[in-house]
Amino acid sequence: MTAEEICEKVGGEMAVAAEGAAAGSVYVGDLLSDVMGHAGEDCALVTIQNHLNTIAVCTLVGCAVVVICHSRPVPPDMADGARREGVAIVVTPMSQYEAALALSALPPSKH
Amino acid sequence: MTIADVVKILDGKLMAGDGTSPRVVGAVVANDLMSDVLLYDADDILLLTSLASDQAIRTAHIVGAMGVVVHNAKPLSETMLKVANDLGIPLVSSPLSKYDACVRLHDAFLAEERA
Amino acid sequence: MGDEYNPTILQGQHTNDDEILAKTPLDEKALGGDSSVIIMELLQRFKVRDVMKRQVLCISRRATLREAQALMRENRISGLPVSENGRLYGIVSVNDIIKGLDGGWMNDVCEDHMATNLVVLEAGMPLAFALRYFNNYTYGRFPVLDSNRQLVGIISQRDVMRALLYELSVEIRKLERKTRQMQPQEEKKEEHYFRKEWAVVRNDLSRAGHAANDIKGILRERKIDRTVVRRVAVAAYELEINICIHSHGGVMVLLITDDDVTVTAKDRGPGIPDIEWACRDGTSTANDWIRSLGFGAGMGLSNSKRVSDKFDIQSEVGKFTKVQCVFSIPKKEE
Repeated sequence: MTAEEICEKVGGEMAVAAEGAAAGSVYVGDLLSDVMGHAGEDCALVTIQNHLNTIAVCTLVGCAVVVICHSRPVPPDMADGARREGVAIVVTPMSQYEAALALSALPPSKH
Repeated sequence: MTIADVVKILDGKLMAGDGTSPRVVGAVVANDLMSDVLLYDADDILLLTSLASDQAIRTAHIVGAMGVVVHNAKPLSETMLKVANDLGIPLVSSPLSKYDACVRLHDAFLAEERA
Repeated sequence: MGDEYNPTILQGQHTNDDEILAKTPLDEKALGGDSSVIIMELLQRFKVRDVMKRQVLCISRRATLREAQALMRENRISGLPVSENGRLYGIVSVNDIIKGLDGGWMNDVCEDHMATNLVVLEAGMPLAFALRYFNNYTYGRFPVLDSNRQLVGIISQRDVMRALLYELSVEIRKLERKTRQMQPQEEKKEEHYFRKEWAVVRNDLSRAGHAANDIKGILRERKIDRTVVRRVAVAAYELEINICIHSHGGVMVLLITDDDVTVTAKDRGPGIPDIEWACRDGTSTANDWIRSLGFGAGMGLSNSKRVSDKFDIQSEVGKFTKVQCVFSIPKKEE
């Protein structure tokens, strides 16, 4: 699923677009250590962590799409980091639970 | 959907608290940031989290949650179980990821509605 | 008390002069000799394995001191075991790093500069032994080996203190309950107010939140409107966590009158330079450690402000921060 399709499904806005960014599975997590330990490659990360560290973790686990919930603002350093690393950021008003359901066509991320 | 149903749906195991509680799930919150959980204004929340710490239980108690599920079969400390028992919060350990659990619970809600 | 355990010293090739050997024999000095029965019993009942940290971050022998330094900084630890496949070879401490920085050998491998004369504990030893070790040696932490000499944990004074304090508070609570039962029941006087306070310890996240949980219980008992109870509890919890993670420690005070509930959180500093910024949603000075524990999303103050009827915050840099949240109690309609 491309970042654009994901954005549409969660009724969100594309805060940072990235060419070719896509996901084949989903992981929901706000604890970056947990995401690092359990999220697999190729997943879309649904989280509330609007922080530069989230992008760092994405590059580590190989995730190219981040979905930020509850319309939390994307700080400039996070947006810059995402652009540099080719990670797309989608901001949605949904909760993590709602966003998960909206993306339920995708399988759970396997580590 | 009671906590006993939740245990079944999520292939879980009840680790602390009363597993026969008649309270039913009023809303699902999937979140690891406790400050964010405190914002939800709903009754009988079922909290899905990866935060395997006392704070998850304490937060659940503050918002009057009906139960807490910890994902990825994370090990739970003795003190966490004790806090859950003391505060009367049913605590479930599930091997599923939060995402998987969200989808399964939703499917179960739909099935419940149809029934 | 069985003295079948003796201090285990793994002897390496070269001796370090900063190694401190036991000056005092294994005696009761650690606890001042005539400790209470409860404490002695706890120290025997608890084993090192009950208290130690099981997840031990290690580094291999061929890693450089620079890599060790990075790991220690990221994880905020002051000593790093050098271990491969469960076998312990040495420890790299902050001291070794400082020497390396000073002497310019940060790119050398750990093997060449680690301490190899190690004092270790065994997982099955009673906690009393750990306490004596801390008393007899100057090390801040000891690696823990199992009966197969495999590295299974690490234990610091902090771990011991925390476990002891927790267990002691449980025991003391039992005693308090007993003495209360023994005293003739004092009739509950009709008071015009109720006041209680809780101490909040810096960085002790395992206890943080208990004041808020207590407060919720007290308000519920008094049959206060449940939406008010919830709002008070949310504010109390956020403020308590704030004291715990951002301050040097402080106190939570609950005051209930006929008309309102007041929660006051006061700490001993370091204070907030820009209050307006701190109260904004999503702003945070939290570090990665706090974030990894599920806090520090920058919602604490704004959350407590949102739920309160009256909100006041004062702070002086280097001195204190005091936050007060007031909630009016709706008059019951009979």
